[in-house]
Amino acid sequence: MDAVLLQGIVNGLSLGLCYALIAIGFTLIFGVLNAVNFAHSEVYMLGAFAGLVIIQAFAPPFLAVVFAVAAVGALLGFGLERIAFRPLRRARDEASLKSRALREATLMSSLAVGILVREFAELRFGGDMQPIPSGAMLNTPIALGPVILTTGDFYIFGMAAAMLLLLQFLLYRTKIGLSIRALSDDLIGALYVGINTDRVIVWTFMIGSSFGALAGLMVGLYYGTIFPYMGFAPTLKAFIAMLMGGLNNIPGAVLCALLIGLSESLAPEIMPTRWVDLIAYVFLLVTLIFFPAGIFGRKAERV
Amino acid sequence: MAAILARARPYGVVILLAFVLGVVPALLAAVNLGYPFRLAQLTMIFIILAASLNLVSGVAGLLSLGHAAFYGVGAYTAALLSARFGTDLVVNLVASAAVAGGIGFLVAIPTIRLVKIFFAVATLSVGEIIILVITNWYDLTRGPMGVRDIPGFVVLGMDLGSPLRSYYVVAVVTLVCIWIVHRLSHTVYGNALRALREDDQAAGAMGLNVGMMKLVIFAISTALAGVAGALLAHSTNFISPDMFRLPESILILTMVVVGGLGSLPGAVLGAIVLIILPELGRDFGQLRMVLVGAVLFLSILLMPKGLIGEVTAFDLLRGKPSR
Repeated sequence: MDAVLLQGIVNGLSLGLCYALIAIGFTLIFGVLNAVNFAHSEVYMLGAFAGLVIIQAFAPPFLAVVFAVAAVGALLGFGLERIAFRPLRRARDEASLKSRALREATLMSSLAVGILVREFAELRFGGDMQPIPSGAMLNTPIALGPVILTTGDFYIFGMAAAMLLLLQFLLYRTKIGLSIRALSDDLIGALYVGINTDRVIVWTFMIGSSFGALAGLMVGLYYGTIFPYMGFAPTLKAFIAMLMGGLNNIPGAVLCALLIGLSESLAPEIMPTRWVDLIAYVFLLVTLIFFPAGIFGRKAERV
Repeated sequence: MAAILARARPYGVVILLAFVLGVVPALLAAVNLGYPFRLAQLTMIFIILAASLNLVSGVAGLLSLGHAAFYGVGAYTAALLSARFGTDLVVNLVASAAVAGGIGFLVAIPTIRLVKIFFAVATLSVGEIIILVITNWYDLTRGPMGVRDIPGFVVLGMDLGSPLRSYYVVAVVTLVCIWIVHRLSHTVYGNALRALREDDQAAGAMGLNVGMMKLVIFAISTALAGVAGALLAHSTNFISPDMFRLPESILILTMVVVGGLGSLPGAVLGAIVLIILPELGRDFGQLRMVLVGAVLFLSILLMPKGLIGEVTAFDLLRGKPSR
């Protein structure tokens, strides 16, 4: 295998892992509420900004930044759920909890909150890319034979692995994880067996949003692109990965995110670069048409 | 307010026509500035967009997040036709409607069977694909630079480019579009669409051809968006791909939601509110999207039925006293 191809694969994998980091949080929230959280891209963006502000103010060791950003993300998730989701969950009867109107209402309320957050971020920080202190960038090159890796590749890989392990632990070894799985299986059923669904939903948002914020931090420092609109394209791709993976399926979403990243990284070999952005959308349409339940999904009612 | 409107109903059409074709242009001509005329045209273009999206998202219940892309297809069709071949507005309107509606139809064939959020995401991706194609097809569309110097309105060889004349052109086309939407949504056909929205399995069991109806209404809606695009191209003389991206789709959706999903007067009112309101605070230029976000959020939270809910709109349009 020649070095260019190998380099492309490595770059694609780290791009895919970035999408995967976002997709994990997305999938978690979707799984519980069955509603799309369009403000996830703003949590991702604010995670990157929070990390930048902390680095500029204190320049702490990287691990401390990670924990601080995770805390900020959890806080954002808490606030987001309170502002955009809970007020619309007033009725508790089965019909209205399952109604399409509710799902679309939360979709639009999270969209609106996302717009507001992004615009205020633009007013506060300006629309341009933020300068990042050179020491904080995760792009120190490390040559590994013919392939050049950067520290960021390792950090992103480590972060994704740690997040997946942590998630498996949370979901399958803790009580809150059990409740989350119960809710994602059947919200009404969980309500009937006495689970405090509101509390579990808040927890889910906090976990998912802190993952989202960490993804923003890693991607922002890796590619050096921190600006108010940074969330849109990657989140959309993470969302596509979630749909391709089969909605409730976190490992499936991660695999599909890797697939999207690899294709985007290798595609310039065979087509003009400016068409590369099409790939993810074409993947999505093909998936929705030929695998309505997602590539790795259980059968779901979506057609 | 609804009760007053309901009482005025027998004269509603006359009042509406007099207002749109008489009072507004007279007022604007009295001010005699170019800008209010452009604003009035923009408002009417968005009225068409909101009314057509309302047909799909409000009446038929298919949430579309790619409406602006079809609007863009219409705008590019009209702009390129008149730039290359100097065609008449009538030709351009028909061509824009046909191209946008045709693409809408083709896109809908595979995606229309998706439900709920999946349809919304599919339309979002279709919209992004369309805009990416427009951006990257340099030879045809001049890419991100956009198309400049699009000629003004030329109808049957007459130059109607002056502010007052182009106002009338846009007003007449808008009224025709509103009439089409009104006929589609307030007849048996409209009620059949509402049946799809409420429960498409039950609607199918009643003998409605669910897939075909959704397909047709999506194509009609995108064709109307194409008409709006053609009007935009000729009234602003400049278009670029960035004018038709997701924020624009969200703006149109906000108009429909604020007005009241499923209600035609609501869609019209929503379009007026969301175009005029940011202009009042034009000094805050940058805050336009903030305003859109805030209005969308507050209206979802506080008035889930919108300014004029569907039920009220029915009473209004049928001439019954409001409940």
